[in-house]
Amino acid sequence: MKDPSPAPGAGQGGVQTTMSGPVRRHLSYLMAGMRAPWSMRQILVAAAPIAIAVFVFGASFGVLAVAARLPAWSVVLMSMLVFAGSAQFAAIGVIAAGGSVLTAIFAGALLNLRFVATGIAVARSLPGGRLRRSLLAQLSIDESFAMSVRAGEPGRPDGKTLLVTGALLYIVWILGTLIGALLGPVLGDPKRLGLDAAFPAGFVALLWPMLSGHHAVRCAIGGAAVALVLAPFTPPGIPLAGAAVVGLWLAR
Amino acid sequence: MAGPLALGLVLGLASLSYIMRATGALLPNLPDAVTARTGGLAPALLAALVAIQLTGPNGVIHLDVKVPAVLVAAVLAAFRAPFIVCVIAGALVAAFLRAIFHL
Repeated sequence: MKDPSPAPGAGQGGVQTTMSGPVRRHLSYLMAGMRAPWSMRQILVAAAPIAIAVFVFGASFGVLAVAARLPAWSVVLMSMLVFAGSAQFAAIGVIAAGGSVLTAIFAGALLNLRFVATGIAVARSLPGGRLRRSLLAQLSIDESFAMSVRAGEPGRPDGKTLLVTGALLYIVWILGTLIGALLGPVLGDPKRLGLDAAFPAGFVALLWPMLSGHHAVRCAIGGAAVALVLAPFTPPGIPLAGAAVVGLWLAR
Repeated sequence: MAGPLALGLVLGLASLSYIMRATGALLPNLPDAVTARTGGLAPALLAALVAIQLTGPNGVIHLDVKVPAVLVAAVLAAFRAPFIVCVIAGALVAAFLRAIFHL
């Protein structure tokens, strides 16, 4: 850059009056500490390692779901229609522990409540009317949302990054699930492989990053305590419902 | 699990997930008080799921290989290991302890 700006912080106004439109816009991104909008190639390069992780996660979900005695077709269908790892994982965990279908739906849906918040955040970055945006918002999962926030401006996630990453991860998630569901029965006794321990291990791993701030810690301790108190003398599902009520109550 | 029951599980979870993701586009302005409170649901539910997974058939905490598996997963998560690493490590710990001690 040959612009003779003498001192850092002194040149912004001058640059804006001398540069042409696109260059000025690009520079203003740099000066605000931000990147210009990501190209398709940049998005795909950034998403590739995430896609590999999602594929492995999909495969392990497929193995676990088949071990929980779900028919393989329903496992793949779930990945196609739900497309949310933690919610699917929670629902299958409830089934594997002997819970009812309603409890499983309840547990999975509660984990997806955060998509109400991310949906609000991405809604104005998506093209089209309300119906089209509500369909495109189905491509938001934790990873694609995080990427769109990284690529976007503060308070405005990048819609293109969300859609490209989301579509890539959607395909990879279904393929992974399919491989896992086909591979699962070949692997043998799920307990011998420690697959029953995979659920509580996964729940701890999902929980840990949420434990920032004393409100979240309070909700977690309260939820676990209520569930443990209710578990010996209530049917499955009630302890989780009790934990949800405590979570809402202790949230602020 | 029987086919119709599995289909019910899939469609039930899918329709609720669809509604949740569509909400932002359909009703742009939820009150902050509502979204702030829902922040407590996930930690409470996940902690409850961990606790319930560690109970036996009678609903009381049951000490077996899942406990060390959860501890290892928690330590890995504290060191910011990716989710899938925590899951596989937990399963490996349980499988290893079962194989060695015939638990």
